[in-house]
Amino acid sequence: MDNAAAFAKVVSIIKPFVKNQDAFAQPTDGTRIIEDLGVNSARLVDIILAFEDEFGIEVDDDSADRVRTLGDAVQMILRKTAPAH
Amino acid sequence: MQEALAQALVLLTYYALLGWIRFRRYRVPDLRRLRAEFAALDRGRRAGLLICANHLTLVDSLVIQWALAPGWRLLFRPRWFTWNLPDRHNIASRWWVRVIGYLGKCVPVLRDGPPEEARRTLDKIAFLLARGQSVLIFPEGGRSRIGRVDPDRAMYGVGRMLQEAPGTKVLCVFARGLGQREHSDYPRPGETFFMRLSALAPETTFKGLRADRDLAMQIVGRLGEMEQEYLALASRDR
Repeated sequence: MDNAAAFAKVVSIIKPFVKNQDAFAQPTDGTRIIEDLGVNSARLVDIILAFEDEFGIEVDDDSADRVRTLGDAVQMILRKTAPAH
Repeated sequence: MQEALAQALVLLTYYALLGWIRFRRYRVPDLRRLRAEFAALDRGRRAGLLICANHLTLVDSLVIQWALAPGWRLLFRPRWFTWNLPDRHNIASRWWVRVIGYLGKCVPVLRDGPPEEARRTLDKIAFLLARGQSVLIFPEGGRSRIGRVDPDRAMYGVGRMLQEAPGTKVLCVFARGLGQREHSDYPRPGETFFMRLSALAPETTFKGLRADRDLAMQIVGRLGEMEQEYLALASRDR
């Protein structure tokens, strides 16, 4: 999966949880999930669990804590879905 | 330090609270039964106690603390003097509110703050629970905006606390003023409170974040069931 495909998936998963739709109109890697999009911390957990279901990955607490922006989410997903060498 | 100071002044704090409760003319009709039930539920407990309540007004924790035990019992049972987790924005506004919060065993939390802040708060609460203390928490995070227990607002931190302090007991408290239609800063003067207790032993087969959510939703689910009991009684009495 490439960066653009992962980004599109992340955006579609996060969309139902977004409170600030204006900030979501033009999402970028740097868009902050809690501060800019108005997602609360519990719903961020729901989003992480949705990533697990969608991408077949496991996200531990520390990795989840490091997801602050859309770009962080994409990079985490790409790392965890990358084939092992 | 905070615990020692709060305990040394517990009678002063409690009876100041009682004075305010009397001034507002708040009452719980079956207060004696409620206190006896709390004492029975807590008998022999050595583990921490997480008291999980629904949330409609800014003073719910005060009303619950008053209702669970008389002041003199807090003197002999310090663990019944619950720790509270108010939003830092609500408690940091004035110096005297901060003093009252400190003596009232408050650990201010920054809602939706950075993960490091959440980590520090969780560590403090796990430490308190591991020492057998009681912590009062509102699993909905803030006051319900729909006037009912709101599972959509459930915060999963309560699940994380249970995972980090294994063996912690859970007591669900449903408290609601009979005239309370929606959330507000204070219950109306002269309010009569419906209050019920329910011990819960949430369990999960999940791990990590999924376990946090599962445990939290079991607690919020129980609060919802208790609310249904209240609504059924209220409609029957109408």
